[in-house]
Amino acid sequence: MAEGITGVSTSSSTCATLECQDLTKTYYSTDPPTQVLNGIDLTVEAGEFLVVMGASGSGKSTLLYNISGMDRATSGRVFLQGRDLTSLNDTEMSQVRLTQMGFIFQQSYFLGNLNIRDNILLPALKAAPHRRDAAIGRVDALMERFGIVNVKRHGTTEVSGGQLQRASISRALASEPAVLFADEPTGALNSSMSAEVMDALTDVHAGGTTIVMVTHDPACAARGDRVIYLRDGQLIDSRELGTWTADQAAEREDALLAWLRELGF
Amino acid sequence: MLKKDALYLRYAYNDLIKNKGVNVALFLILMISAFLMATGAMVMERSLGSVDALFRQALPPHFLQMHKGGYDADALDKFASERPEIESWLIEDMIGFDGVGISWRRPSTGETGDFSASLIDNLFVTENQDFDFLLDGAGTIPQPATGEVYVPVGYQRDFGLQTGDDLRIRTDAGSQELTVRGFVRDSQMASSLSSATRFLVSEKDFRAMASAGGGDPEIIVEYRLSDTALTSQLQTAYESDDALPKNGQAVTYQMIRMINAFSDGLVAVALVFVSGLLMVIALLSLRFVIRGTLEDEVREIGVMKAIGLPHRSITGLYLSKYSVLALLGCIIGGVLGVIASQLLTRSVQVNYAPAPVGPMTFVVPVAALVVVYLIVIAMCRGVLRGVRRVEVVGALVHGNTSTEKQSARRAKRWARRARRTDLASAGGADMNRRLALLDLRAEVGQWVLIPVVFALAAILIILPTNLLTTFHNPRFVTYMGAPQSDLRADLQFSDDLDTVHRQVLSRMEADDRLTAVRDFANLLYETPGEEGWESLRVEVGDYSAGTVEFLNGHKPGTGEIALSVMNANKYGLSAGDEMSIRRRSGDSTESVVVSGIYQDVTSGGYTAKMPGAVTTGAVGYVIYADTTNDAEPAALAREYSDNYPSAAVIPMREYVQQTLGYVTSAFLRAAILAVVFGVGVALLITSLFLKLRLTRERTKMGVLTAIGFSSRELASQVRFKVLLTTVAGALVGAVLAATVGESLVGAVISQAGLGIASLDFIPNPWLVYLAYPLMLIAAGYTGAVALTSRLRAPDKSAWLKGSPG
Repeated sequence: MAEGITGVSTSSSTCATLECQDLTKTYYSTDPPTQVLNGIDLTVEAGEFLVVMGASGSGKSTLLYNISGMDRATSGRVFLQGRDLTSLNDTEMSQVRLTQMGFIFQQSYFLGNLNIRDNILLPALKAAPHRRDAAIGRVDALMERFGIVNVKRHGTTEVSGGQLQRASISRALASEPAVLFADEPTGALNSSMSAEVMDALTDVHAGGTTIVMVTHDPACAARGDRVIYLRDGQLIDSRELGTWTADQAAEREDALLAWLRELGF
Repeated sequence: MLKKDALYLRYAYNDLIKNKGVNVALFLILMISAFLMATGAMVMERSLGSVDALFRQALPPHFLQMHKGGYDADALDKFASERPEIESWLIEDMIGFDGVGISWRRPSTGETGDFSASLIDNLFVTENQDFDFLLDGAGTIPQPATGEVYVPVGYQRDFGLQTGDDLRIRTDAGSQELTVRGFVRDSQMASSLSSATRFLVSEKDFRAMASAGGGDPEIIVEYRLSDTALTSQLQTAYESDDALPKNGQAVTYQMIRMINAFSDGLVAVALVFVSGLLMVIALLSLRFVIRGTLEDEVREIGVMKAIGLPHRSITGLYLSKYSVLALLGCIIGGVLGVIASQLLTRSVQVNYAPAPVGPMTFVVPVAALVVVYLIVIAMCRGVLRGVRRVEVVGALVHGNTSTEKQSARRAKRWARRARRTDLASAGGADMNRRLALLDLRAEVGQWVLIPVVFALAAILIILPTNLLTTFHNPRFVTYMGAPQSDLRADLQFSDDLDTVHRQVLSRMEADDRLTAVRDFANLLYETPGEEGWESLRVEVGDYSAGTVEFLNGHKPGTGEIALSVMNANKYGLSAGDEMSIRRRSGDSTESVVVSGIYQDVTSGGYTAKMPGAVTTGAVGYVIYADTTNDAEPAALAREYSDNYPSAAVIPMREYVQQTLGYVTSAFLRAAILAVVFGVGVALLITSLFLKLRLTRERTKMGVLTAIGFSSRELASQVRFKVLLTTVAGALVGAVLAATVGESLVGAVISQAGLGIASLDFIPNPWLVYLAYPLMLIAAGYTGAVALTSRLRAPDKSAWLKGSPG
């Protein structure tokens, strides 16, 4: 890439998918101003499943929204596949979110006036309006994969929470993003639905998608490759978990819990 | 103060501070409505007060008859002695001078001028002894000394005259010079609709002017009655008595009052109309805001219910805020109204008399404001009744104001709608527009506020302008009982009337600058009325060419008569009915068929038209003519007026403007006011609506942002929705103004008793049906641009529910 073009790479690690350097976020709307992120340095490798944990108010969701460009960091830089996101304007950043990022939230936010399939299709159609058929084929395949093809014409009030969250995952993947951001994706679900959703995410990760997930739940966190722990806006510690397998799930969870307790979780 | 009230007020204060933008907008709309309502009420009270005050002091006649030429004084004496209802009567001698012949000079500065711009008659009189007094500014009856003159207040205003100026009147024996001693108000000729005005001089100067020659001597026979209800009876008796002088206009007390009240009352009516529409807009907006607030704060309401607060207390908490807003709006609107009404009634107070300050001065505007306040509070109470339906679990768990059943029904409706959408098979329409359209369809209940408000605003700004252009249009003469033409020659009230008529007519017919010369004579007929034979003013001539517009029926042929609306109503006749008429008492009665009904505002609206030859002996003649392309009507009018001083020849356009000048200027003010408020309110409501709407759509916009929609695209969706709804509203409003609005205004005007039963607008289509809607749409769009520019906030995650941790 040539120098002088917006978003030119100055990333230190060229093989990283996502990287942030000395990231800070301060809210000036409060008196005194609140510093929520305080000099975070983080690298997410391609294909990694990174879990962000910490107590309430530690800054984990803020970190997620700042590295995904939903919010603007007060200082520091964020690189996605070598491109500096902090230098992009709103339209450019939107294009990045559309084509390279996917989001899953705690609540399944959908447009109530569209059916499930249209909600999933929306970003794909927007990203490639001239490749409509390809988008439709991809979306139908995703719905098939996550077991929601039978509710594709349903309204968003006619399906279960688990189905909605699987639809969220489908929507997040519809544009084949480089990174999937998940903010407490199981926070509003019961345990069986949580397992459903985490299975789906594990499946997505197994397919090679990079995932950054914020969660409170150690059982969910145990699915990740690596867990980082935030306290008062600072990255306190991180722990490599290795690749998740169903038969080691209980051990991974116990080990993780022990580590978290050490950190005061 | 009770503890509970203090709590309510503290809540109201905190909420007012918290939602500043929305509350300021609501307050402004309420204040403007209250302001206009109070101003309308005050203008009405002050105007009527002024007119009444002048009438009380000046004692105008209950019936008067103007006359030119000789008369039989004994016959008048005899008539008065035979009529017990006559309390007092008088004959006022007057000398009329043309405005061109009266000039003024200010000795201190040497400034000069004349009254040629005024087309009305300038009549010089002495002060009456018993009634019909001319009054000075202090309300006293001035008695000018020799060499002094009191000038009408209207001229003081129009020509900027001052006390001490010299007035020079051109007579046959040279100039008569008088010094302006003061200004007088005239109860019977105060209205700008009056065709004459009176100057007050001393007996000696009056005699000198009369003997000098050059003026037109004229008399008014005036009567005060014991009961004003007997006026029409007296008029009939007077007009049927051949011995009495009556070659001029006859005017009744009712007509004087009506004309006086009409010109100034219109401003008040227009203000009340504008205020009424604004009230509707204010109520709609309030309803929208309150419902939105209840939805937003449903969890708080749920908590209050859960801890056992009764509905009444919860409602009271919300009501306190709107009460404070409405109360503040009414108080400030009322105070502003006092200032505005003083400005608006300044000319009325000068022309008539300063209205006395009585209990009604305060009661009327306060009552208007109380009505505004009560309506607002009643509406708020109605909407807040929704609090009662809120179920604790639904509110706390699901955060909605509806009951289980309602929620289920709504979910089904949404699902049904969602099933019908199909982005996959949709054409290549822009995704943003598609989403905007889907949004509009789904949230039609919310967005409908905008088209409704814009339709009302369009009606608000279009109607006064339509009325203005209608009154201003030369074609409006067809409402005034005259055919459309370029020139109008009015001949009446002179001794050699028939000779002058013959001369003017033959000269006009021979004039190659004039075409379509039409000659009509005004004859007095009689027809049976409620109290025996009554006089009927009939215009006779050839109606085969173009004439006035007929409301129903057609122009009169042989054996037929056309009646003005007022006459048709008075005698209960419609087209096809038979009517008996006779030329004068003792003549044989002939039966004519009513051919049609037309509108007329001249002669109090009571006229008739019959075909026939124009012969001599009429009470007056009117000649209409068109000018050829290169002839200037104003120049021709001047030329004919100079050659025939006793004929009033004026361009038709000027005739309309002079007769309706004051009315149109009142409408102009109303129209400007309406446009300013209409456009302002359109901007205000759009901003208010979007402020609330965007707050409520934050989550959806957060999702769209995460999906990859830019702030610019989100703004474009909102602007597109605003554009669609404002265009729809403005168009519907324009159509309604042209259809329902026309009938509505027509109905009001017909109720005014002016002789107009049906009003067809003569609009300026480019202005009202293009420029005005565009102005409204531009105002709405400006609001949308201003509000959506806030979507460029740097932190969009805050739009998603659940604050970042």
